[in-house]
Amino acid sequence: MPAHTELVGMNNEEILVVRGVNVAYGESKVLFDANLSVKPGQVVACVGRNGAGKTTLLKSIGGFLKPISGTITFNHADLVGRMPYDVARMGLKYIPQDKKVFSDLTVRENLELGSYATKDYNWDQVTRLFPRLKSLMDRKGGYLSGGERQMLMIGRAILGSPKVLLIDEPTEGLAPSIVEQLKNVFKELSKKTALVIVEQNLSLVCTISDKVYAVKEGRIVTEISDEESIRSNICEQYL
Amino acid sequence: MINIFRWWWGILLAFLLLGVVRVFLPLPFANEIIIFSIYTMGCSFLLGRVGFISFGQPAYLAVGAYGTAFYLFYFGHNPYVGILLGILAGLVVSAIVGAFFVRLRSDYFALVNLALAVIIFYLMEKVLAKITHGDNGLWFLANMSSTPVLDLGKPSHFFIFAFLVAMALWTFYKYLDDTIYGACCLATKINEDKLKFLGYSNFSIRWMAFIIANATTALAGSLYAVYLGFVSPAITHPARAADPVVVTILGGAGTLYGPIVGAIAYTGMKDLLSEFIANWELFIGLLLVFIMLAGEKGIWGTLEPILKKAVFRKNTWQT
Repeated sequence: MPAHTELVGMNNEEILVVRGVNVAYGESKVLFDANLSVKPGQVVACVGRNGAGKTTLLKSIGGFLKPISGTITFNHADLVGRMPYDVARMGLKYIPQDKKVFSDLTVRENLELGSYATKDYNWDQVTRLFPRLKSLMDRKGGYLSGGERQMLMIGRAILGSPKVLLIDEPTEGLAPSIVEQLKNVFKELSKKTALVIVEQNLSLVCTISDKVYAVKEGRIVTEISDEESIRSNICEQYL
Repeated sequence: MINIFRWWWGILLAFLLLGVVRVFLPLPFANEIIIFSIYTMGCSFLLGRVGFISFGQPAYLAVGAYGTAFYLFYFGHNPYVGILLGILAGLVVSAIVGAFFVRLRSDYFALVNLALAVIIFYLMEKVLAKITHGDNGLWFLANMSSTPVLDLGKPSHFFIFAFLVAMALWTFYKYLDDTIYGACCLATKINEDKLKFLGYSNFSIRWMAFIIANATTALAGSLYAVYLGFVSPAITHPARAADPVVVTILGGAGTLYGPIVGAIAYTGMKDLLSEFIANWELFIGLLLVFIMLAGEKGIWGTLEPILKKAVFRKNTWQT
């Protein structure tokens, strides 16, 4: 289990709380009474098979889907009904799974977009986590590899020091070496930012997570926060 | 100093060439190209940088033209003031309608602007005929006073004025391209959801782009009005709705010099071909089909990377 640096000035109160959230696409309900909580600096994983509702959960937290019922609070503020850009400005950012950056903009321009919105121009924190990006500043996003795009998306998202990052399947389709690099990045990020990661790579999840939610057919079937219980074979029992 | 020159050299070269072209071309042709380039610039910005296709550009052209015409026919004589008022009219109208239009999806956006062009055409032709004089138009060439330094009533002086205005406008668009706002415009076209993830409001970005683009179009309308000394509803006839879109695609949508190249090509073909072929529009249509099938980049969009590679000897993927 990852050891976390004591977070100075942060208490143990939950920073993100999802209670009884139900989400539907038109008449088709896809998420049923979802409950989730995240503390500052915590790494929370959502695992489940394809179509279980994990991305729907993240999108509803990020403001892209409006729940039909339930509450989502972030830093004591109600998120339901807020526009996605408002949620992002509040310090909760969503990194989608499609690994698409702005293809006609360079890496530098992609980062500038992240900086301008947050007024955070300290790119050292990005290049420290992803040194590869330093040499790619003038390359257009469309010419980056999958791993490089994922680095750019995460790097862009951490500008402004968000309190929570929602990361959707970050290692999907990536080479093992990149996955290993991302594992270290997430451990580093979790010192200052809470992470909610949707993943199907159970070994990665079990290595970095403080808490795991198993999602099945639109329901959170279990919450595992016990250190010893977060193991691949236990996670698999619920999938 | 070198960096400033690097930033300016493209604009200086383009307008130097345009100035040289003027030496060999008839003055009316040169004035037409300048104004039509400005007219197309707004459409090119909307389509190429923001991803909105608009078949309503004649509406904003008419707003600018009639804004200038009303002033010069009824109230005053100074063409500079008339042009400013035409631009102001364009700013106000585009700010008001843009707040509603930019919320629409691209296909509905195209049609609602076309509807606006039809509305304005009939307003000017029928509904407001008492003040617009309908099809007879407003004639105010004799009303315009001579202006110091550049007398806009003289075509040669008008060319110099329009040339300087165009150069300033291209500098503005080049500057816009290099700013965060320019990146936002492109980003909203590429993936608006991603922009939301970063905390940007797509509505604000698109609304501002709509105002900028259509104020540019209104400027072209004002210039037409002052140049011709006359405005009629024909300027916003729905049959001309596709003109700026055609020229945009011909030149290269979203490129800085595409509108100039497209305007020269379109106006040139119209003037030259019409002497030999009755249905010169057929040739334009075939050329457009070819451009679409060849990669949609347009003339300048295709030439630009080739020229850059030849001049700078860089791999194009690095640019």
